[in-house]
Amino acid sequence: MIEFFQILIEGALVGLVYGLVAISFVVIYRASKIINLAQGEVLVFGAFMLWTFTEGAAGVGWDIPLPVALLLTVGACTVFGVTVERTIFRPLIGQSAFTIFMAGVALLILLRGLAQLIWGAESRSAPVILPEGAIEIGPFLVNSRLLIGAIFTLVLTQALHVFFTRSRLGLRLAAVAEDHTTALSLGVSVRQAIGVAWVLGTVVAAAAAVVLLSGSILSLEVAVIGFKALPVALLGGMESIRGAPLAGLLIGILEVLASAYLDPLTNGAASGVLPYAVMIAVLLIRPYGLFGWRKIERL
Amino acid sequence: MRPTGIWFQSYAGEASVLQTRRSRLWLGLLGLGLLALPLTAGPWLLGEMTHLFITLIAVYGLFVTVGMAGQINIAQSAFVGVGAFAAAKFAGLGLPFWLVVPAAAVVTGLVSVVFALPAARVRGFYLALTTLAAQIIFPIVILALPMSWLGGLVGMPVPAPDLFGLNLATPTGFYYLAFVFAALAVWTGFNLPRSRFGRALRAVHDNDTAAGVLGIPVTRIKIEAFFAGALYAGVAGAILAYFLQFVTVSSFTLFTSVWYLGMLIVGGIHTPLGPILGVVFVTLVQESLHTAANTFMQSGAFMGGGAVFALSSVVLALCILIALIFEPRGLAHLWHTAVTGFRLWPFPRN
Repeated sequence: MIEFFQILIEGALVGLVYGLVAISFVVIYRASKIINLAQGEVLVFGAFMLWTFTEGAAGVGWDIPLPVALLLTVGACTVFGVTVERTIFRPLIGQSAFTIFMAGVALLILLRGLAQLIWGAESRSAPVILPEGAIEIGPFLVNSRLLIGAIFTLVLTQALHVFFTRSRLGLRLAAVAEDHTTALSLGVSVRQAIGVAWVLGTVVAAAAAVVLLSGSILSLEVAVIGFKALPVALLGGMESIRGAPLAGLLIGILEVLASAYLDPLTNGAASGVLPYAVMIAVLLIRPYGLFGWRKIERL
Repeated sequence: MRPTGIWFQSYAGEASVLQTRRSRLWLGLLGLGLLALPLTAGPWLLGEMTHLFITLIAVYGLFVTVGMAGQINIAQSAFVGVGAFAAAKFAGLGLPFWLVVPAAAVVTGLVSVVFALPAARVRGFYLALTTLAAQIIFPIVILALPMSWLGGLVGMPVPAPDLFGLNLATPTGFYYLAFVFAALAVWTGFNLPRSRFGRALRAVHDNDTAAGVLGIPVTRIKIEAFFAGALYAGVAGAILAYFLQFVTVSSFTLFTSVWYLGMLIVGGIHTPLGPILGVVFVTLVQESLHTAANTFMQSGAFMGGGAVFALSSVVLALCILIALIFEPRGLAHLWHTAVTGFRLWPFPRN
């Protein structure tokens, strides 16, 4: 029984990390109506920037204190997000869903290729930012890195939720997510919204990279997390910030249960397929997710 | 735009793909040239051309699903993989070659229908996500199935194709094999938009609500669009399996799917000419990058194979983005503009 609860706790913590990555999807969608497929690559870019300012800089003899390195990373992510918005998504405002989708796909392979050209394909150790080790709570062992990440996720969720539902700018972004043309006719700047969306999205992705990778291995393959978080974002609802961590919890717990009890029977496939099976089920049964906006199609 | 002095006395003439005798002549010359290529070309060029033809078949499948019906499909490479594995399995069971290819195509089509079913509920981007799920699930499932079924991690050998006692397992044989099927793909690709089914696809592409009002069964047409596109993928996969003589999961990645889509977009998604131009252009770019990287390496500079791959994906991504932002109608439109300008010279176009 203790083992079962231990599995549940691990699943919940990993699920909240998925939730954090899913939030970076939702933030971009909620402010710009773009589902960014390349979010995994954006996360890898954030992680590599952080590596550059910590380990990379230390490697060439510059020891940057950690808080400054974090600030530099946030700055670099901001510049990166603005660049993506300016060069790729601004010219495509008002284009069809297909065009936006393909731009996301192109961005995916562009960032993958650029990351490989700039930093190389070999894997390296990621900087240790969050404390390693485990805390004992009663009979259970809790990974302290994931625990801090989970608390951070919950706080960030609430903060972003307040931002999007209470602040003036947040409400304007929501109008853009509803419809570009309507937002423009109401005097809302779609360009500004997409810019803000990308900056928020890249910064959240970098934060997720910190939680996910602190003290472990950093390589190009980490980008797969983007495709794992996509079902989470869909299940929670693309417009719902608070839905993302909840869906993350659900999928994380289901995934560890599948990997503990179904994988021995299915040769290891069950936990890998599960998020996507959930995604297809969500699309079939409730395409707008648990807490998304229900849209009415008009002619 | 036709040159002046050409008119038609029947509707069939007006609607035909090749309207003038000269265009028929050019096509005949091109066909003869491609048929005569094995007489002069070495095995390397023949292999490249075979690859190009196989890619062309897969991209025509995408043209049907994405270009004509407007349903985003980012799993074409997985569907090609399904075709390849099905062909390997059937050929391993001892089925004759002429039966393996259609059987593999039908199996692929049926698999694609499973992932097209959400089309009944969702559209656009969300439908694209189910095909993304198909692409990601494909290797997981193949690797998890017992080794004796589909080879698992190792892969499956494919016996040499053999058509009524004629051995096709030579570079020339594979070239002609791929050529015949590519010609079939091009022929169907050019004729499909003129058929009843093709017009239904076009209507669904333009506005599916309005198409439903006109009496077109929208959900069924969307699923059929996926089925038809996957038939091409299945044929491409079967020929690829014979050509490679060994199929493994690692040949059918998300990146290959993106390459297929990229070729379609760069070429132009709305005309049947697009896939040809896109495939040829992207293959040329890729090959010249490879050649450039090779000479670069021979001159002593360090450049790993991974860097060449990274560089070619950056170049392809830039091609897609440039096409999307500056010329969404692709190379086919540029070609059309150039031909029209040439015909009307010295008068300005319009």
